[in-house]
Amino acid sequence: MDVFGSFALILAFVCAVYAFAGGIGAIVTGHPLLVKSTRQAGIATCCLIFLATFGLEYLFFSDNFANAYVVSHSNRDLATFYKIAALWSGQEGSLLFWSFLLSVYVFSVLITYRNKNGELMPYVGVVMAGVQIFFLTLNNFVASPFKALAVPGANGAMNLVARADGNGLTPLLQYPEMVIHPPNLYAGYTGFTIPFAFALGALLARYPGEKWIHLTRKWTMIAWMFQSMGILLGAHWAYAVLGWGGYWGWDPVENASLLPWLTGTAFLHSVMMQEKRGMMKVWNVWLVFTTFLLCILGTFLTRSGVVSSVHAFASSKIGSWFTSFLAIILLVCFAAYVKNRDYLKSENQLDAIVSRESSFLFNNLMLLVACVAVLSGTLFPVFSEWFTGNRISVGAPFFNKVNIPIGLLLLFLTGVGPLLAWRKTSTESLKRNFGLPLAIGIVGGAVAFALGFREFYSLVCLILCVFVASTIALEFYRGAKVIRARSGASLFTSAVDLTMRNTRRYGGYIVHMGMVLVFIGLAGAAFNRDTQKEMQLGSTMQIGPYTLVLQSADSRPERNYTAQRMIIEVMRDNKSLMMLYPEKRRFVTTVENGTMVAIYSTLKEDLYVVFAGQSPDTQLPVVHAYLNPLVKWIWLGGAVVVLGTLVALLPNRRAVLVLAGAQQPAGQPLAHGLPSSVTLRERHD
Amino acid sequence: MTKAHSIAAITMLAMAPLLIAPLGVQQLSDRAKQVGTKIKCMCRGCDMPASTCSHPGGAFSGMCDTAKAMLKEVDQQIAKGETDDQILQAFVKAYGTQVYTEPPKSGFSLVAWVLPSVYLFVGAGVVVFVISRWRKRPAPQVTPAGGTPGISAELLERARARASRETQD
Repeated sequence: MDVFGSFALILAFVCAVYAFAGGIGAIVTGHPLLVKSTRQAGIATCCLIFLATFGLEYLFFSDNFANAYVVSHSNRDLATFYKIAALWSGQEGSLLFWSFLLSVYVFSVLITYRNKNGELMPYVGVVMAGVQIFFLTLNNFVASPFKALAVPGANGAMNLVARADGNGLTPLLQYPEMVIHPPNLYAGYTGFTIPFAFALGALLARYPGEKWIHLTRKWTMIAWMFQSMGILLGAHWAYAVLGWGGYWGWDPVENASLLPWLTGTAFLHSVMMQEKRGMMKVWNVWLVFTTFLLCILGTFLTRSGVVSSVHAFASSKIGSWFTSFLAIILLVCFAAYVKNRDYLKSENQLDAIVSRESSFLFNNLMLLVACVAVLSGTLFPVFSEWFTGNRISVGAPFFNKVNIPIGLLLLFLTGVGPLLAWRKTSTESLKRNFGLPLAIGIVGGAVAFALGFREFYSLVCLILCVFVASTIALEFYRGAKVIRARSGASLFTSAVDLTMRNTRRYGGYIVHMGMVLVFIGLAGAAFNRDTQKEMQLGSTMQIGPYTLVLQSADSRPERNYTAQRMIIEVMRDNKSLMMLYPEKRRFVTTVENGTMVAIYSTLKEDLYVVFAGQSPDTQLPVVHAYLNPLVKWIWLGGAVVVLGTLVALLPNRRAVLVLAGAQQPAGQPLAHGLPSSVTLRERHD
Repeated sequence: MTKAHSIAAITMLAMAPLLIAPLGVQQLSDRAKQVGTKIKCMCRGCDMPASTCSHPGGAFSGMCDTAKAMLKEVDQQIAKGETDDQILQAFVKAYGTQVYTEPPKSGFSLVAWVLPSVYLFVGAGVVVFVISRWRKRPAPQVTPAGGTPGISAELLERARARASRETQD
């Protein structure tokens, strides 16, 4: 099967090269047969990558320990669930997985638009094939996952060997989230290739104005949704697995995933300027280019280990390949822009400073400042070493200080922006739209202050959250009220109806509401508390309102690890509340450790209990308990963000007039002068 | 022996008795814990602040001996009446600038702190410039065309399309 996989990958490379070179030929000559054959070569490339990926999974499932990658990342006792995840647990596999996910997108695009947008698609196909060629080069010639295991023999020659068992999977990866977090994040990274390919293709083809934006809107939103889910699942993994009580450590790999998310978010907003007003065309094209470049940079930072990180699981010599690829993309983008920049001329002028247009500009400004600040902070240790010879640590305190104010400004804009009118917003409408939410925000802040929210940023954040939530709720309420007046349905049904009529707008509001919930959760971090204690059976520790009693401890051998478990009773007001079972796992094959945090989560706070292990000094079990307020809101917010994006992806339901016969009781006056045979009804289009 | 050397030596010595008489985290002063958030645990295995060093994935996910010794050293410096800054400087002399959890606000590292504000101001400048340029751009002139009074059908259609685009969210 390893030969099969290698062969499929080589063939995929050949097909991709054909799709690329033939595609250029098709653009130059316009020959229909060439256009068709290059498209089919693109589809074949994807199918071959699918086969290679399934080939590698087969090697994992069949415990083929003659393959070097399988030996390094799996063992016989590894649960089936994690044999899937083992695919992306190392360098070679994750690069193949990148190719795989990219192929899912490329395949879908080639199939969806096979008979549409004839002038544009050859360009898009060439760009997509170009990206695929890069990753297939890595898959085939630099980091192949299909290398056979070989050891040097007595005469110095390499001999093929097969091992009886593998080294096993890193314990940190043996958690359910690890099976879904990387695919989500990678689906985000790879997904931005599609808007990039369309933007670059449109620029090269001088394809009309907003059309590429319309075409890529959904693809961008899908990529953005996966990226958001990937980031939040990663945060949840860090929270539930690493056992340090936090969810975001501003680790270089985390930062790398945030960068394209920030520019992608900026792009999702600024495209509206182009769609509605024909403005910011150059900016939009460069935002997509930047987002894609950051996706490649993110993959590079994750995979190359250029910036040290606790979870850069691999470090190797692929760095130069990535830097070269980044340079080539930048060069191509720049050349395309210089050649065809006249086609990106904007149309409109600005009527008033207080308008939706300005709010988008400031939204983009803040997102980009956040992005550049995170990027330069992440790379600063490298710069510092270059210039001064001293490596400086740029850790969480720095990023928090820099990004909290930016985040709060963005949150403020989230509330203000959507309520400003296009072109010009009158003072009257400002008062009408913001008066009540502002008042509610201030009252909310006063209540929070009275409840003990005395930390400046947290208090500001909470006030803004209440303000933004009120503006959104008010928008739904006003719209729903109009529909209710006409249809007579309940307010909730009317709000649903309203959402379905303009899914993009109201889906967007739901996403904003999700972000508000995430920010509420983040505001709680200022009040985190923790305590650590060496415990004996029956001894207790106190944290906040909870008393933890160590009732018992046990040890149970599992297939792949031995778990040492503390059985802790949680008491509150002298009443038993629940039992928690924090674990320390020792993995047999890798001789590594993992923690299994026990969390009692409520909307108010998380009681987060870690069994740290036996104290090296006294051999007594050490329990580390944290009280983290409001964390649950972050995960809830993430779910709402995803829900909102899904809503925004739905097609609009339009209200249409339907002429139909209706029963009219005798003697009743005719409503609105309509003839008795006509009633107003709505139907889905 | 320089002060830097003496700190490193004291840290090493301080670690030895830990094996016999364990130092609980609780015994440290709040100020030592506070200073400990500004210095990194230098065991090279966790990359975390000394106060919150917890070695995820280690056999013992708690404060390691290096972090404990560093914090104890902080406590001793506090007892001698040193200021937070003096304590930090002593650690920098012993371990280099890498001991900081965040870049110091001096020397080349100051650049890291200044940059975000530079981005903000430059970006805001660009936004203001763009807005003022857009404001100055003249509104498109609509002139009567053809024999019909008013506007041509094509212009009317374009205006309709634009209006519908702009009124729809």
